[in-house]
Amino acid sequence: MNIYNILALILLLIIIFLLRIKRHLTKAINEKFPDNLEPDWIVDTFQPWYFHLNKIIGLISVTLLGLILLGGYGFWYSFKIGNQQGYQPDQPIKFSHQQHAGLYKMDCRYCHSVAEKSKNASIPSPGTCMNCHRYVQATAKYNGSISPEIKKIYEATGWDPDSNKYLYAPKDLKWVRIHNLPDLAYFNHSQHVKVGKVQCQTCHGQIQTMKVVQQFSTLQMGWCIDCHRTSNVNVEGNKYYEEIHKRLKKGDKWTEEQNGGTECGKCHY
Amino acid sequence: MSNNQYWKGLEELNKSPEFMKRQSNEFMEGIPMNEAFNEETYELSSTRRDFLKYFGFTVSSAAILAACNKAPVRNVIPYAFKPAEVVPGTANWYSSTCNACSAGCGTIVKVREGRPVKVEGNPDNKINNGALCAVGHAELLSLYDKARYEGPLKDKANIEIGALDKEVMASLNEISLANEEIVILTSTVNSPSTRGAIKEFINKYPTSKHIQYEEFSSYAIQAANEKSFGKLVLPSYRFDKANVIVSFGADFLGTWISPVQFTQQYTAGRKAINGMSRHIQFETNLSLTGSNADVRVPITPSQEGIYLLNLYNKIASSTGAPALAATTIEGPVNMIENTAKELLANKGKSIVVSGSNDINVQLLVNAINSALENIGTTVDMTNYSKQKMSDDAAMEQFVNDLSEGKVKAVIVYGANPSYNYYNATKFNEGLKKAKLSISLATTHDETADNCMYVMPSHHTFESWNDHEAIAGQYSLTQPTIAPIFNTRQAQETLLAWSGVNTDFYGFIKQTWASNHSGVDFNAVLEKGYLAGAAVIEDLKPSKSIKATKTVIATTTTANANLDSAATSLVKLDADNKGKVQVKLYEKVGLRQGRMSNNPWLQELPDPISKVTWDNYVASSIVYASKNNLADGNLVTLKGGSVATEIPFLRQPGQANNTLSIAVGYGRPRYDKAGVPIEVIGKNVYGLVTFVNGAYSYISYESSIEKASGSYTLAQTQTHHTLEGRDHYRSTSLSKYTANPKSFQKQIEVISLWEERDYRGHKWVMAVDLNACTGCGSCVVACNNENNVPVVGRDQVGRGREMHWMRIDRYFTFEEFDTDGAKDRYRSDFYSDLKVDTDHDGAANEKISDEAFENVSVGFQPMMCQHCGHAPCESVCPVLATTHSGEGLNQMTYNRCIGTKYCANNCPYKVRRFNWYRFNDNDKFDYQFNNDLGKMVINPDVTVRTRGVMEKCSFCIQRIQDAKLTAKRENRTIVDGDMKTACQQTCPSGAIVFGDINDKNSEVHKLFNNERAYHVLEDIGVQPSVKYMGKVRNTFDQKA
Repeated sequence: MNIYNILALILLLIIIFLLRIKRHLTKAINEKFPDNLEPDWIVDTFQPWYFHLNKIIGLISVTLLGLILLGGYGFWYSFKIGNQQGYQPDQPIKFSHQQHAGLYKMDCRYCHSVAEKSKNASIPSPGTCMNCHRYVQATAKYNGSISPEIKKIYEATGWDPDSNKYLYAPKDLKWVRIHNLPDLAYFNHSQHVKVGKVQCQTCHGQIQTMKVVQQFSTLQMGWCIDCHRTSNVNVEGNKYYEEIHKRLKKGDKWTEEQNGGTECGKCHY
Repeated sequence: MSNNQYWKGLEELNKSPEFMKRQSNEFMEGIPMNEAFNEETYELSSTRRDFLKYFGFTVSSAAILAACNKAPVRNVIPYAFKPAEVVPGTANWYSSTCNACSAGCGTIVKVREGRPVKVEGNPDNKINNGALCAVGHAELLSLYDKARYEGPLKDKANIEIGALDKEVMASLNEISLANEEIVILTSTVNSPSTRGAIKEFINKYPTSKHIQYEEFSSYAIQAANEKSFGKLVLPSYRFDKANVIVSFGADFLGTWISPVQFTQQYTAGRKAINGMSRHIQFETNLSLTGSNADVRVPITPSQEGIYLLNLYNKIASSTGAPALAATTIEGPVNMIENTAKELLANKGKSIVVSGSNDINVQLLVNAINSALENIGTTVDMTNYSKQKMSDDAAMEQFVNDLSEGKVKAVIVYGANPSYNYYNATKFNEGLKKAKLSISLATTHDETADNCMYVMPSHHTFESWNDHEAIAGQYSLTQPTIAPIFNTRQAQETLLAWSGVNTDFYGFIKQTWASNHSGVDFNAVLEKGYLAGAAVIEDLKPSKSIKATKTVIATTTTANANLDSAATSLVKLDADNKGKVQVKLYEKVGLRQGRMSNNPWLQELPDPISKVTWDNYVASSIVYASKNNLADGNLVTLKGGSVATEIPFLRQPGQANNTLSIAVGYGRPRYDKAGVPIEVIGKNVYGLVTFVNGAYSYISYESSIEKASGSYTLAQTQTHHTLEGRDHYRSTSLSKYTANPKSFQKQIEVISLWEERDYRGHKWVMAVDLNACTGCGSCVVACNNENNVPVVGRDQVGRGREMHWMRIDRYFTFEEFDTDGAKDRYRSDFYSDLKVDTDHDGAANEKISDEAFENVSVGFQPMMCQHCGHAPCESVCPVLATTHSGEGLNQMTYNRCIGTKYCANNCPYKVRRFNWYRFNDNDKFDYQFNNDLGKMVINPDVTVRTRGVMEKCSFCIQRIQDAKLTAKRENRTIVDGDMKTACQQTCPSGAIVFGDINDKNSEVHKLFNNERAYHVLEDIGVQPSVKYMGKVRNTFDQKA
């Protein structure tokens, strides 16, 4: 939905409004000058079948149809409010996951190192990039000069490639956040990655094939709940879950929901 | 069942018309639709048409907003180089020391991504053992105070640090070379390194002198100890080792010297019913300590000496010492007899303290403790306290010298005499005569305003420091945030001016290297505490008395001192009999007023009067009736250098014909631009007098007069009513021993609901009313942990305070055994007392005004009870409040549409409605309204918006965190892993939280305690909180 849709809607309303005015004016002219009676397009076209219907029923059904269509659209649309699925903004550095995670098969946790410890997976500091890019400069691709994208890392860290030293003040690197949960929802990466052993790709898609990262999942509550309803708690090997499972005495299959994973207070506090 | 009928306030007892009217309403006021639609002015009224207009506007704007389906771009900026210890999204904890007062409690500071978000007590520190008071918690907020100095000033204009140093050093050199006096005026400094820095300064400028000034001084205790024992020290008191505690006006649980430490000691002897200590309090105003006493005797300030003399004579008559001259007591004589008997029966296991700053009184206290052989057991002068070090006489001399122009340079650090010296004008005039005056204050204060230079110091959270609060007990302060403003630590400033080229961190390490050879500095820093070699006995509160006992003999002149003390005390009482005696006291929240621009402390209700945001004249009911004064009348207060109008409040428990007023008020509140906008309360430090070599906080020469007009004090106590139910249950020890099951009520439960099945975790809480002292520490801890907004005086007055946790204060008249008790302790006053239990609304005329000084008080922390069959859940139309499988009553803010049905249906009145969007609303210019203050927000808890209901969540974020940590570490949850914020900080350990399905848990044991009961169990809502009834060790035991 954008501004054009609204404009179209408004213009449509204006057309209907103007048509009605025209009709009233024509009617008035016809009453005043009955001799000049011009053939009415609407009367000629619709009269044959329109007048067979009860006027009220006709009106009601047309209104109803309109409302249903509008409501349906609204209902369908309301599920898209705030849904950023597919969001793929430009980033300050054209970093390619396809190259790093896909081609070079780097472990996700090399850069997103705290995903197993914290609620955030965290965006790596440019200092982490420097572990490799101090040496990897892709000069072959740029006729001997350093890749402009890698230069941006140097700027962010204050690295001077000529003297091989950190000479300057670091500059802020403003990444654009892709996955935005509202503040009212609490999400913890370590619960899912470390404890639940969920693959990164389950929520983030085939990240190793993405040149530019986009939001793979809807990140809507229904999406969370669906997964919590269907996935089983991995009891084996976790003493906490073993103890709780023993207390709860639920069958072999024990879904996240049965463990209270769909209760409001698990994420909203 | 409780033996006593409790009431919340005088209006409830008297059934005043307003009270009766209010009682029938759910909310104190109607629903403010007008205000809700227009927050700019309260006056503007909107009609139904306006409503439709707004409504239409809202709908259309919502549609347009929805149409622009692009969320704002949000940036993430990573660290350039992530520090190894920082894990974004998790907290680091650093050990430190609380600096809100000089008691030296150890803290651990929770730091999220470089900003401190919470302070908790350090369990390794033997002074506070993990607990913290309300002030300690609130100190964090003063770090993010808009009233802080942002850089050095010269004559209120900005100046560079280097230029300031140059000018100041030149001036200091000149003054020092001319052999003129320089004074460094500080509050208590017990830090060895800070003392070292001051010493360096004095070495460089030999004409300098260091004076310690405390606005609420305990100097008389030190001075008396020098006279009695030849030791100018403040003893360490051991309330845990005493079977009988007698206090004369010392509010040791609330404000006196080291309240957290004393509360832990005190409750160590109170929790176990067997061998429970007996606490007798003689006092003027109803203090927090007095309200916890088993027996409380209201006395006028001038009578304190007479009571002590009589007590001494009673004890002396049994030990054979000569009696002192004394007048007889008018009133409950046998209280002294009983007290003496109790004390003599517990020689070496009792303690007598006095909060008075009168040297004569303290001499008598020393004599009594000596006669009772308490010196060395409960009054420890070997491991003496450095928690208050001030010299009243030196301060007085300094102000005289200053006003005579003898002192040429003044450096003020941590003291604020322009505000709290009794003759501030004299000090200010004197300061003008000095050639150089410098303030090292952190936050805007009155003295700094009068100084030529301000070289602002770091806040404690940005500073290094060390402490020796008790001789031989060391702790460290370390910075937990990079300096926010262009400031420099005071000690570093002094070192710079002394020409010592080292930062204070290096200086501390040097000091430690020379003082503690062989001690690993970093190991101490990690733990935050070092018990030095001087410690004979572990400080951890315990009832057992170890054999080590150092008896200190009294000096030869001690007896001569006693005689003259007796004479002057008798004279003091005789001179002032019949006069209106005004006692100044510190409030539990605001104390001396050093952190008056702290909204958490201002909004913390006074434990007794439940007044927020103001001080007032508290008067006995007798005085009010006699002078025809009513609550909220404005009165003109005159005395000393004070002449002001101040609100009046009747206070049950206040000794008849006395008044009391809290100090610490009369300072400005600053808005988000750092500009003072209003003055909160009235400054009454002008009533202090300098008598007999020490400051006296009692005024015999003040008068109050009814002024025109009235003032509404924002009280929280009467917002909800009791309706005669027995929420608070108490009994006396003898009755309890006779019938331990007396707290239990047999009820028949008929339930319409299916029973719930909790087999995983079931979180419950037990609150021991016998331990709870009502100090309010939990309230501030909760505010911090759960991002509870501050609403301000006006909103509190409308009954819209947001505190998730409140401490209900109930009054009652203690019943005494009928047989043979008539002659005990003024029982005749209320022998015919009958409180209206049938709620017919008729005021009970039988209670005489005099009787109100003998009220007994009960405190009950009240938070969401997380009912099994929660009445709130069943009425929510949108399922915003639901039940969890772990027994929690969950509140989902984003579902809530604000019908308030839940609050209406809550029997415990613990739900709070957000009438406004308290963050980013200039009407509520508190910490949530500016970027600096917002740094205190706990990132793991939602900041609620306007129009939603909220309430205690049992700290669900902490529960989830404890569970997740256990899962990550592949282990089960251990009892104690999970502590709520209130439980964690409680100095008395009154709150215990845990999983009742864990049969070995502490809470499981407590739930089966015979004192445990549910509040309102007869309505069958199955709360998750149990209270353990209060047992008072009153004098009704048959000997």
